[in-house]
Amino acid sequence: MNVAQKVDTRALRTNRFSKVLSTVGIYAIAALFLLLGILLQSMGLINNFMTSQNLLNIVDAVSLLGIVAVGMAFITYSGHYADLSAPTTIALTGIVSVELLRYGFISAMVGAFVVGLLIGVINGVVIGKFKANPIIWTLAMSYVTMGIIRFIWVNKQIYPDIITDDVRAVMLFDNIYRFRLFNVLSLPLIFMLLLVVAGQFILKRTPFGAQLKITGSAKRTAKFSGINVELMVTLAFVISAFTTTVAGLAITSLSRVGAYYNGAGYDFRAVTAIVIGGMTLAGGRGSIIGVLGGTLVIGLMNNIMTLLGVGTFSQDIIRGAIFIMVVGINAKTLRSMGRDDT
Amino acid sequence: MGISIKKGKSVSIDSIGLALKMVGVGKRYPATIAVDNVDFEVYAGEVHALVGENGAGKTTLMKMLAGSFNDYTGAIFINDKMVRLSSPSIAKSYGIGMIYQELSLAQPISIAENLLVGRLPRKGLFIDREKMVREAKRLLKTVGLDLDPLLPIEDISQHEAQLVEIAKVLGTNPCILVMDEPTSALSREEVDRLFAIIAKLRNRGMAIVYISHHLPEVFQVADRVTVMRDAKKVATKNIDEVTREEIVHMMVGKSIKELYKREERQMGKLRLEVKGLSRYGFFHNIDIRLHEGEILGICGLSGAGRSELAQVICGVEQADEGSVVLDGEPLDGLSMAKRVVRGLGYLTEDRKLEGLALRLAMDDNILSSVIPQLKQGVVYNKKTGWPKAEKLIKELSIYPSDLDRTAGNLSGGNQQKLLLAKWMAINPKVLILDEPSRGVDVGAKMTIHETIERLAREGSSILIISSDLPELVRLADRVIIMRKGHFTKIMEQDECSEESLLLAANTEMIV
Amino acid sequence: MQRLYGAWDEMIRKKLSDKNSLLSLGDRFRIYILFGVIFLFMSLFAPRFFNTYNLTTILRTVSMNVTIALGFTIVMICGEMDLSIGRTATFAAVIALTLQKHLGYGLSIPIAVLAGALVGLFNGVLVAKVKINSFIVTIGTMTILQGATYTITGGNSVSLSGDTVFAISDFLAKPILPMLPPRVILTILFVIMFHLFVSNSQWGRNFYMVGGNRTTAWLAGINTDRVTITAFVLSSTMAAVGGILFAMESSAATLNMGDNSLMYVVSATIIGGTAMSGGKGGILKSVIAVLSLEMLYTGTILFGFGNEVKIFISGLILALVVLYEAYASYKHEKTIGQRAELLDELAQMAARPKV
Repeated sequence: MNVAQKVDTRALRTNRFSKVLSTVGIYAIAALFLLLGILLQSMGLINNFMTSQNLLNIVDAVSLLGIVAVGMAFITYSGHYADLSAPTTIALTGIVSVELLRYGFISAMVGAFVVGLLIGVINGVVIGKFKANPIIWTLAMSYVTMGIIRFIWVNKQIYPDIITDDVRAVMLFDNIYRFRLFNVLSLPLIFMLLLVVAGQFILKRTPFGAQLKITGSAKRTAKFSGINVELMVTLAFVISAFTTTVAGLAITSLSRVGAYYNGAGYDFRAVTAIVIGGMTLAGGRGSIIGVLGGTLVIGLMNNIMTLLGVGTFSQDIIRGAIFIMVVGINAKTLRSMGRDDT
Repeated sequence: MGISIKKGKSVSIDSIGLALKMVGVGKRYPATIAVDNVDFEVYAGEVHALVGENGAGKTTLMKMLAGSFNDYTGAIFINDKMVRLSSPSIAKSYGIGMIYQELSLAQPISIAENLLVGRLPRKGLFIDREKMVREAKRLLKTVGLDLDPLLPIEDISQHEAQLVEIAKVLGTNPCILVMDEPTSALSREEVDRLFAIIAKLRNRGMAIVYISHHLPEVFQVADRVTVMRDAKKVATKNIDEVTREEIVHMMVGKSIKELYKREERQMGKLRLEVKGLSRYGFFHNIDIRLHEGEILGICGLSGAGRSELAQVICGVEQADEGSVVLDGEPLDGLSMAKRVVRGLGYLTEDRKLEGLALRLAMDDNILSSVIPQLKQGVVYNKKTGWPKAEKLIKELSIYPSDLDRTAGNLSGGNQQKLLLAKWMAINPKVLILDEPSRGVDVGAKMTIHETIERLAREGSSILIISSDLPELVRLADRVIIMRKGHFTKIMEQDECSEESLLLAANTEMIV
Repeated sequence: MQRLYGAWDEMIRKKLSDKNSLLSLGDRFRIYILFGVIFLFMSLFAPRFFNTYNLTTILRTVSMNVTIALGFTIVMICGEMDLSIGRTATFAAVIALTLQKHLGYGLSIPIAVLAGALVGLFNGVLVAKVKINSFIVTIGTMTILQGATYTITGGNSVSLSGDTVFAISDFLAKPILPMLPPRVILTILFVIMFHLFVSNSQWGRNFYMVGGNRTTAWLAGINTDRVTITAFVLSSTMAAVGGILFAMESSAATLNMGDNSLMYVVSATIIGGTAMSGGKGGILKSVIAVLSLEMLYTGTILFGFGNEVKIFISGLILALVVLYEAYASYKHEKTIGQRAELLDELAQMAARPKV
């Protein structure tokens, strides 16, 4: 006996077409911002929007944020919201790498990754196996990490060129951020693009990604489907720590100083990019391409706001408001369509 | 009329009157009729038992009384006044008290506050602590408990919590009390104590509806009994005018299901051997021998430990003692993922929260346990699983049949079939089914049963956990009765009938 | 695979049957025990700890976080989280001081408190009505508030001067009772008020019930949305009050004055026994926990360790507490649903001599 359902038909199909449409939508918004910038420039309200230097700035900012966001997206996809220890991981890996520069460039790199991955594993185990609240735990981790930084380096800022006389090592480190292929493509940008491709591939074209999707969408069901949920979650946090470490190296290279304040704000901006990019905080939905789109939107938005003279901190207000708005809209529309996303 | 002399206690003639009268009530859902034109009445000062198998309609009937629906048909009269019970608060205002199986207590909160929630005694602006404790103690005494009322619920045992739940409802002084399986978590002595309380309440004029599966208890406590089957009322009898066998016969009836032909199936060699399996506190010393092509049923009342057993066999939880061996290879220590790879599947009791990912599409769900296999070269590609998914959807007649339809939008029966498809996708050697046709319409049920039989015929071994007796009778080659963590009896196919199973499940443990 | 019926099961059994066991008592009063231990230790071993000046300083330093904890504890009891408390404190302090120049404290303080309450209203409505996870909402609010604060001050800290201002600041800081300056006395009053409110009033108990089991609360007629919103309003208001009083005493508000408070108050509340799952804990426990932490930190400094050690330890403590809670509930999950009779059976079998 079959039944006529009084259900909102919009929610009935998780159509491939509608997914493509929403991803395109994000890029459309990014394009709109681009147009907005051009418009404002032509109206004389802002200067230097369409200059190559400015566009390069946008690309650079997007690269750094994108690296963090793409890695963190795995955590969001798995239903564990975000990694609030990202900023301090950036600071710690950065400062460690500078400190180890005296033993050579390779040691510095290795040291940074060891530290970063260690943080990732700890997060992954505590959250994956012992099921601690991800936000509170990563917050606590960030305090512990900051404490370690302050304990070892106090308030010192360390400079690559002072730390070591090995000019080659310093130059290599410097070039992490500054090297440009064809004068345009910086290493962070190249890396981010690779990351996006790899991330999208992992998410959509590996068993890991498929199992992560189920873990994010219905954790209990995943457990009863023979999926090793604890491992999935741990890997997600390790991936995030990996990308965060890369970002840490790039940011530290950019600022040419290892300090405890490197990386501040990246956690919130990354989550916002992820959410704007179509990944819901409930997990199991979204794509890396979308996250890239979200990062683009944020990058363009920031740039335009800066050119308009909006102060950094006023930008914070706007970003915070947008974040809440996007999350709120997600929550309401999905709930009214009968798909309960919290 | 409605008076019965029960074990020497009698009810005074003056206090009788119909506390509750339901006339021609009914409730239908989109796919099924849950209650079909039922008349039901309870006198003040009577304990009236309501029995029937799972799905017979008794819980729905009582939910009507609790105010859970505002779209029921028929008329309800309370103390001869017609009422419309369209919400829980309205039902409460008419003096209807419901005691459910699932506790409605808040775990970290103290007993006293749970008992008196919403009506804490006050002294001016503040809570009157002493009065609260006194009142709580008094309520606890009515159920025979002597606990510190300031203890939180999570610190007391489950049986004590069950009694607190009862005390809580009694504290609201209902005139009609409905108890749904109140004894499943209680020990022998506690059950006796509870019955003493019930007798006292009855003598004071309360009308009590007692829903239960457990016939010996019904005979101990009830004055009259009403039997429901397939959403209809079968009969109402005085308890001393009927025997246990007669009640069982009424519960079970002359069902058409007896006309189903049982296909002959060959049983092959031993496939799954479980020895001495225990998980402390949940089940002890379980032995199972399951052969190729065999369907083994596990029957028991809820709380017996059946699902916990399934969880250990499939690897979600670890056993404390004993071993599980599949095709000669021990599975001990292996995770569920590895067991699934070896062909062991577990269709969970809860299809919404543990079986399916309701926010995802049908193909995601069907393929969720075989993800590692869906490779196209080196790359994972879901599309390689589509032919299999489509085939399963067709075999099970899942409607609507689009692969990208969200699982949460299917009807209950189709969701259950989807869940079955998921486990068929692993080509199971051993499949454990936990209530495979619960909450499912007749058509889907038939499809599911046919499929189970086919799987067995094709060589799979099936373990069915079910409280749906006709299902067990129809499908199982043998049935094991499980009670409070132990296997108590094994019944061969020819001994199995609904009546015999029901009787066996209700019999005290034979150690 | 064998696992002998061992110590763990015995403990479970005991817990199931012996309500007054040392184990459960210890668990319930752990924060008081911890307080006592720390106080004793520091008094005996930390140089310059046990004297009037130091203890007064501790009380003064701790006042802001205690005040914030009063409201935050309520939010936790309801089973929610408010990550915006630190930034709210700074925000309100900045408003109070900035407006003082134009309107005087008489007006600027109420306005600042109101601002705090509005933040709480915003949080509460989003959580209760739009049903967004409270972590998410308050992270967003946190960011917005930081931006707002910086925008108001133009990126600089606010500091006031002038006779009235200094007079008030002095008044707040000098003890009028032994070891108790007015600000501390005010804080103590708040503590008493909140304790009575939360432990002994219907409203207070409603917070617990909503946090304990929302459905049960709703079925019993409690307006769960209103309760939740009130919790957030109280949290932000008390954060504001704490920040304002602190700034008044120093006649200055720095832009990151409230940043440490989040971690402090969260750690203290959880250590004090208020679980994130809700329905448990209490005002006094949080307050004692804040005091314990402050003694610990002060002691650390007195032992000669620098500020960095303090930051590290505070982070470590929070991490340990969260880990402990997670591990405890992980273990608890494994034993839900065990039947006592079966465990009794096992005990009997284990007690029987081996044949």
